Amino acid sequence: MSKNKKIPKVGIGGPVGSGKTRLIERVVPVLIEKGYRCCIISNDVISKEDAERMQRVLSTELKVMPENMIIGIATGGCPHTAIREDPTINLAVIDEIEKKDPSLDLIIIESGGDNVMTTFSPALADYFIYIIDVAGGDKYPRKGGLGIESSDLLVINKIDLASHVGADLAIMERDAKKIRGEKPFVFVNCQTGEGIERVAENIIKSILFDKKPIAKKDRIR
Amino acid sequence: MSTSHEFFLMQLSDSFFPSGMFGLSNGLESLAKHKKIKTDNDVLNFIEQQIEFQLIPCDCMIFLIAMDAAKNENIEELVEADKKFYSMRLIREARNTSARSGSQILNCIIQMASDKEENRIAKQFQKKISSNETPGTYPVCLGITASLFGIPPESGTRMMLYSFSQSIIAAAIRLGIIEHVSGQKILTLLSSKINNISKNLKKEPLDNLWQLTPITDIFQMIHEHDSSKMFIT
Repeated sequence: MSKNKKIPKVGIGGPVGSGKTRLIERVVPVLIEKGYRCCIISNDVISKEDAERMQRVLSTELKVMPENMIIGIATGGCPHTAIREDPTINLAVIDEIEKKDPSLDLIIIESGGDNVMTTFSPALADYFIYIIDVAGGDKYPRKGGLGIESSDLLVINKIDLASHVGADLAIMERDAKKIRGEKPFVFVNCQTGEGIERVAENIIKSILFDKKPIAKKDRIR
Repeated sequence: MSTSHEFFLMQLSDSFFPSGMFGLSNGLESLAKHKKIKTDNDVLNFIEQQIEFQLIPCDCMIFLIAMDAAKNENIEELVEADKKFYSMRLIREARNTSARSGSQILNCIIQMASDKEENRIAKQFQKKISSNETPGTYPVCLGITASLFGIPPESGTRMMLYSFSQSIIAAAIRLGIIEHVSGQKILTLLSSKINNISKNLKKEPLDNLWQLTPITDIFQMIHEHDSSKMFIT
């Protein structure tokens, strides 16, 4: 229907505190290093704190992208509504971005922290990453939910905490395989960057395959 | 009114219709945060005042002007009304959100009514938005929508007032000011007022537009700078 194909869009959803913002902070520099130009829309339930944090990390500290390419949206108490039933405001912001810079390679849309039934409207995201963390227990993948089952990529974060919370990564791996079939999943540690390269590879392979990355010598920051 | 119009009226008034309204409290969040609105009665009074001093003299007028202009395929009048409304929205976030919501509603209804010949004016107006000639505000796009689906002005006005009241009540429930049954009671208390206004409201010239909600405006401005908030405005 209204699916806008001009710039590929990745939706990132997951529970509160699972590491959505940190994942973006880790994966965006990898994509930029490979020559892809990104923009980020951060939906936050009660503030624009995540967007401001990403501006500080990605623009001020790492200097990998301009501050105005990280946009915060406060979604009210309904983060799932803003990305699924009524993505109006997100779509309007995407229209504005596409008008402003149609040469971008990728738009990343971060959902506000939500529950395991999070999904993105197909009008909003071409590729859906759902992130959980091991601190929720190794039962997490087994319990399922639309995010865990139907996402294009399942990311399991904070693997360094497994031993501290009594979570068995082998069980999580077995259950993720069982519940997701052929669909990929990746174990990551967003603190150290472990596994992030694989997340970036999945994004490139799945939706950036026809984009030609900019050679280092031609990049303007 | 035929039953098909009734159906569209229900469809467009439904909170499930993608208009972005769920993200707005129209100043309620800020007023509640500063203890200016605390009870069911405060919520009712707030809605009544916004209807009287904002919606009747401004939003509904723009809506009726847009409905008429769309019916007459008068693109210049649509653009003029749109720019006028945009300039009268004093709060930046309210202004931007109105334009974002309006342009997306238009996008939605153009696809919904792709087989209708009357779609022409909606597409023409959409082109004006795309080329930055006009912002595409909510009441103008809703007026084009109502005209496209053959909704009479009286019903259209009722739809607009109902949608506004319903969105404020939903925001009040989410903010924990009122509970769900109170919300329905407030809507019921508003019904005769909304019906009377809808029946008697007549289109006026653009130059006669006005609005006067200074307290709400000030609290919406404060809200723009809040670091923690649930609603866009």
